[in-house]
Amino acid sequence: MKTRFNRRGALARLGAVLAGVLALPVARTARAAVQNFFTSSNAPRGYDPTEHKWLICLDATKCIGCGLCAEACKKENDVPPGPYYRTWVERYIITKPKPGSAETHGETLVDSPEGGMHGFPECPVPEDQIEQSFFVPKLCNLCEHPPCVQVCPVGATFKAPDGAVLVDKNYCIGCAFCVQACPYGARFLSPVTHTAEKCTLCYHRITRGLKPACVEICPAEARIFGDLKNLQPDDPLRKFYESNRTQVLKPHLGTGPRVLYAGLDEEVR
Amino acid sequence: MRRFRLPPQILRLVLLTLAIVGTYLIARTLLVPQSFGAYGWYRGAALEEIASQTPVFAGKKACDECHADIQHQLDKFEHKTLSCEACHGANREHALNHDVVPTKVPGSLCLRCHEANPSRPAWFKQIVVKNHYGDQCTDCHLPHQPSQSP
Repeated sequence: MKTRFNRRGALARLGAVLAGVLALPVARTARAAVQNFFTSSNAPRGYDPTEHKWLICLDATKCIGCGLCAEACKKENDVPPGPYYRTWVERYIITKPKPGSAETHGETLVDSPEGGMHGFPECPVPEDQIEQSFFVPKLCNLCEHPPCVQVCPVGATFKAPDGAVLVDKNYCIGCAFCVQACPYGARFLSPVTHTAEKCTLCYHRITRGLKPACVEICPAEARIFGDLKNLQPDDPLRKFYESNRTQVLKPHLGTGPRVLYAGLDEEVR
Repeated sequence: MRRFRLPPQILRLVLLTLAIVGTYLIARTLLVPQSFGAYGWYRGAALEEIASQTPVFAGKKACDECHADIQHQLDKFEHKTLSCEACHGANREHALNHDVVPTKVPGSLCLRCHEANPSRPAWFKQIVVKNHYGDQCTDCHLPHQPSQSP
């Protein structure tokens, strides 16, 4: 009598299962390769993030508050309309101290109507009351130790080896912890995708050898951008940090920003 | 001498442990994205996905390929720091395909930067429009050579 269950058959089935398990990674690699072949059409080739280290320098003494940077950023990155900005310009107005108050200055007023995108309305303080007034461009500070990355519960935001702090849209769950954690207010939840959004350093541009849109468009050379790993002898970046006394925003937080400022007042936060 | 035999309850435990570890390893290969860990504790492919966005601004270099004469002129005057697209608008479409007509320059552009504002740095040239000669800037100033008249 022939039994339906024999040793040969069992071994064959076991072998098939094992082969299936072993074939899985191979199949995944093949699938990824095929997907890659058909989908990665638009990404620039040959960009190695470990070969670059980007740095942005902002000269507050040069910013004229035209807001072209904020406008260009919105256009370049298709940032949703409304109060959502990846970069913006703030106007600081420091008033004169009250007579006899023995202070160096009075009040500090800060505004940024529509991120400065369409310029600034007339000064709300009469001109003879102003002690100092200036514009400060702001954006993601590209922290070396980004608090936003620490708090992300799903590992959707990360610091790339080239210094850019990016968000993986496919993994972001939109909890907004990072929005709260960022001490520079550089993040927001997109009302369109409901995921965290921020300055990507125009990653699609810098990987193609272009400057970020805000740097490209700034008419006053208040924004300077460069690669610390591939510095040219006459690099504007080198010139900037060699000839200016630079500082970062909120250094006491230990975030280690890669955005250097020149000509900031102590009132700037 | 008696041969050592693994007690059956231990054997079952060992098999169960192996099964759990095996299932975990298989699930892990299936669930963890392939590029995870390529650069760090995140999906390496995300970098490429973010980089695949299409640029909107062409950049001054692209303009220079055809309009080097204007660029050369611009470089001699005060507006040398300006990118073409700061005034002419984003024109990558035109840079890629010259048949696409570039966007027109809106008229009131000069004042966006040059209208007097106490917050602007003092070295920067500013005018109070009503104290200036007129409101048609280009009557007296060539945009590419602002200190010269047409």
